[in-house]
Amino acid sequence: MGRLSYITRRLVKGLFVLLAIVILNFFLIRAAPGDPAQVMAGEAGASDEMFIEQLQERFGLNRPLHEQLFIYVKGIVTLDMGWSYRQDQSVASLIGQRLPATLLLTGTAFCISLMFGVLMGALAAARVGKWTDSLITTVALIFYATPLFWIALMAILLFSVYLGWLPGFGMVSVGAGYTGLAYIGDILAHLVLPALTLGLFYTAVYARMTRASMLEVMEMDYVKTAKAKGVAPGRITRVHVLRNALLPVITLAGIQAGQMIGGAVLTETVFAWPGIGRLMFDALLQRDYNLLLGIFFVSSAMVVLFNLITDLVYTFVDPRIEVS
Amino acid sequence: MTKGQRAIALAMAAAVTAAAGSALAEEPKRGGTANVVIQPEPPGLIMGLWQNAPTQMVAGNIYESLLKYDQELNPLPSLATEWEVNDDGTVYTFHLKDNVLWHDGEPMTADDVVFSVTDFLAETHPRLRVSLEHVENVEALDDHTVQFTLKQPFGPFMGIFEVGSMPITPKHIYEGTNFQDNPANNHPIGTGPFKFAEWERGSHIHLVRNEDYHVEGLPYLDEVYWHVIPDGASRAVAYENGDVDVLPGGSVENFDVARLSELPNTCITGGGWEYFSPMAWMWLNNREGPLADKRVRQAVLYSIDREFARDAIWNGLGEVPTGPVSSKVRFYEPDVPRYDYDPDKARELLEEAGYDGEEIRMLPLPYGETWQRWAEAVRQNMQEAGFNVSMEATDVGGWNQRLGDWDYDMAFTYLYQYGDPALGVTRNYISSNIAKGSQWNNVQGYEDERVDELADEGAVAFPDEKRQEIYSEMQKIIVEDAPIAWLLEIEFPTIYRCDMKDLIQTAIGVNDGFGDAWLDR
Amino acid sequence: MRDFWKRFARNKGAVIGLGILIAVVLLAALAPLLYPDSPWRMVQRPFLPPMEMDGFWFGTDTLGRDIGAGLAHGARISLLVGIVSTLVALSIGVTLGALAGYYGGLLDDALMRFTEFFQTIPNFALAIVLVAIFQPSITSIVMAIAIVSWPPVARLVRGEFLSLRSREFVQASVVIGQSNARIILTQVLPNTLSPVIVMASLMVATAILLESSLSFLGLGDPNHMSWGYMIGAARTVLRQAWWMSFFPGIAILLTVLALNLVGEGLNDALNPRLARKGR
Repeated sequence: MGRLSYITRRLVKGLFVLLAIVILNFFLIRAAPGDPAQVMAGEAGASDEMFIEQLQERFGLNRPLHEQLFIYVKGIVTLDMGWSYRQDQSVASLIGQRLPATLLLTGTAFCISLMFGVLMGALAAARVGKWTDSLITTVALIFYATPLFWIALMAILLFSVYLGWLPGFGMVSVGAGYTGLAYIGDILAHLVLPALTLGLFYTAVYARMTRASMLEVMEMDYVKTAKAKGVAPGRITRVHVLRNALLPVITLAGIQAGQMIGGAVLTETVFAWPGIGRLMFDALLQRDYNLLLGIFFVSSAMVVLFNLITDLVYTFVDPRIEVS
Repeated sequence: MTKGQRAIALAMAAAVTAAAGSALAEEPKRGGTANVVIQPEPPGLIMGLWQNAPTQMVAGNIYESLLKYDQELNPLPSLATEWEVNDDGTVYTFHLKDNVLWHDGEPMTADDVVFSVTDFLAETHPRLRVSLEHVENVEALDDHTVQFTLKQPFGPFMGIFEVGSMPITPKHIYEGTNFQDNPANNHPIGTGPFKFAEWERGSHIHLVRNEDYHVEGLPYLDEVYWHVIPDGASRAVAYENGDVDVLPGGSVENFDVARLSELPNTCITGGGWEYFSPMAWMWLNNREGPLADKRVRQAVLYSIDREFARDAIWNGLGEVPTGPVSSKVRFYEPDVPRYDYDPDKARELLEEAGYDGEEIRMLPLPYGETWQRWAEAVRQNMQEAGFNVSMEATDVGGWNQRLGDWDYDMAFTYLYQYGDPALGVTRNYISSNIAKGSQWNNVQGYEDERVDELADEGAVAFPDEKRQEIYSEMQKIIVEDAPIAWLLEIEFPTIYRCDMKDLIQTAIGVNDGFGDAWLDR
Repeated sequence: MRDFWKRFARNKGAVIGLGILIAVVLLAALAPLLYPDSPWRMVQRPFLPPMEMDGFWFGTDTLGRDIGAGLAHGARISLLVGIVSTLVALSIGVTLGALAGYYGGLLDDALMRFTEFFQTIPNFALAIVLVAIFQPSITSIVMAIAIVSWPPVARLVRGEFLSLRSREFVQASVVIGQSNARIILTQVLPNTLSPVIVMASLMVATAILLESSLSFLGLGDPNHMSWGYMIGAARTVLRQAWWMSFFPGIAILLTVLALNLVGEGLNDALNPRLARKGR
């Protein structure tokens, strides 16, 4: 079976899902009370009918709804996400400015959690029933139950306010004007707390999942056979167990990679991280239709993309899976 | 006085001493950079196109109008050096400076003023539009003389030449173009002390000294950076770390003010808002439900501990208002019935009115923690006096729409009063201003024939003694009817380094403050 | 029943979790007795640190409201939202999953596409949008949480139905001519209960976290004191008053932890086959 045709089919399906999401969101956001013209008139400190009408005309809000939808979808098909009137900039450039920050944050958190999570889970499974296992399981459970935004605040309080080790807000020092290595160092220092707190929850999820899945695989016949044959336990864990046990972890990683944009709203809010999650929240409150839809479009596209990647990775890792 | 309030009082005293000191002898020093916070990021910097607060704050240093106002609201020269009024108050003649250049080098003339008023702002500026209804004709008598002819006397006319109300906009750039889509909108051209240099979205706006400024020797500063920091706590940290020198009013949460004012070299002032004289109140929907009854509305006022809110939420800054006109606005009348905190009185009034515990819907102002806490405190006060209040959460979009549709019972807001009842007060009480779709008119639906008459007369009466008499009577009637629950004459604290001198000199504070400011470093 | 308890009690964590959970439920139930005043009432001076004054062990907030009262009354909202939204999510998920799994074919395809669709939209973002659009209230929060949390239930139930559908006892019922509705309700559904119950206990935990996250962002019901709200309101005064955000956070942590522990215990007790493998 051709991997290529499989990819194509998945891609086409993904595009339809994307389109459906765009349309759903288009109507959802218009169901909210108020429109961008009203919000902007509200900020102006004075308004009259003429003013609101001018704004609505500019934003195309005075056209019939289906026409607005048609214009929007037509734009999206050509990857034109429109204009944000509140910010007076194109949606693409706004997202372009903010997306790297979010990718940096979520990417780091993703790597941290995947690495530590799998490591902790594997360790716990290898020492099942021992105190190491209990410790890891308990810690993972606590991470799992901790509200993200709260642990973020506590981290700021401890590391930023009391100890003064790390900056607690923003992505760069305001007005410091660093360049080169100092600039990168500054960003990294700002990255530590948000990335760690964002990664905490998923570390727990990976640890729990890896542990469970490894224990399951260990019970399987081929592992028992290998044991009986006298293969060294370390090698069994590495070669036979871990590889197979990672399959569900990969699925989860795919889901997480897509969902982290949503989760980043909280982290970005607490740490004032200038990313796309916070941008989405502001766009929502200000009824910045095009911007909000654009962010939803981009983040859903990423979910679709990551799902596709997951599926592909799956086909490589587990030859038993057919690509049909 | 709490510890925090004491700290604020000390910092304010320091601000006064610093100001007095500078007035005595000190010679201003040239040079230096001011780092200022701007919150939120403005959508654009063309002052005539955008009337929101952040645009005003930055662009007020780029653009100018004919006049400025001191903190007692007396007119000061700006683009105009002299002005005269005819005897019946209908013809105003302004003599402009003859050495004013636009930032692109073109000379600024009377034609620019006429164009700004009759073409540009008439199309883009809803607030000015209301005042312009009194204007019959604007003409340039020569290159440096402008004459405004009014249909009848308009008392507050001398008060509409503030830069945010009437920013003079270059004719040679905008004439005959679509104002909203003019490519020049990315690079504002004004006549002010600072020129636009660069705007890196999401990071900062950079203004540089206008070397050709028409006032010799000004400005003192070389450049001003406005930093966009989209989070209240980070803004506070940026000030603490020394990254920014000025936190304009409203840029940090009130709960941070006390802590910041304890920092060394830190001054704090509530000044610089006199022109706006913001007043916070709750709209009470006079049309229907329990609040249609005057006694119930009075009970609302009696039930609220406004001093407590001022002290706990606003750091003790600001005055509790006595009525519709702020004490900082002209023609304020102090001799009116008082509504001091008195829950027992509120209960009596409710009983008398036969209030049966019907639910009253309250909309807080969706502008952050301060306003949310305030609404919670007021709700608690009212509930303790026997009201059944339920709060309905809305965001900015929802709040605007529900007010515009009159779909509320009580709603928090604050409005500017622009120094004169005819500009910023009567608009909220006259019955001809009852119309859906605006958050700035008579949203509560208050109707009183006598008030309508007085408001009309007060706007066109001449001279001021006459206006005082009229407005005093009007205020007494309105206070008795309690159509609105006035909460606080807000003083947004500006926090700045004490060695930043002469920052707040006018009635609009930092909005045009950097033209005179200098650093004593 | 005794077997069930025995298996449950073998998991020590689950017993501890149950203990905590009972304590939280009691706190919620007794809140009006412990703190008869409204938690919104300004009873002391603002910014009173904890343990400084008798009766105000947890301190007061920016307006002088008792944090202790907030904790007690907040427990009610957390539990209420957690439980109700889970019930709503279950009823959507079980219905769709059962239909898809039982009937299979085109219906299955359609329903699963629908489910996937909901899984593609970033779900916390969707919850935020839903609550913002319908304006924050208990109802909109419950609905939003339910809408983002039903898909896994549907998939689980569908899976169970698919495998049960071909079992002999189900086939037998089909042969003797029982109606589909009857088979679904009396034969298949009861057999899927165990995993659904386990999942439900975890969903309540997730729902509590979701509710607190929404409240933290200012999207809570403003008429009900909730833990997330307390943390959100304390954020701006983090430096002056650690206690305002610390205690409600601990409350959420303990409750969610307890529910997870209980979930594991239930899993051990209800699915003895899978027990001891850990989750």
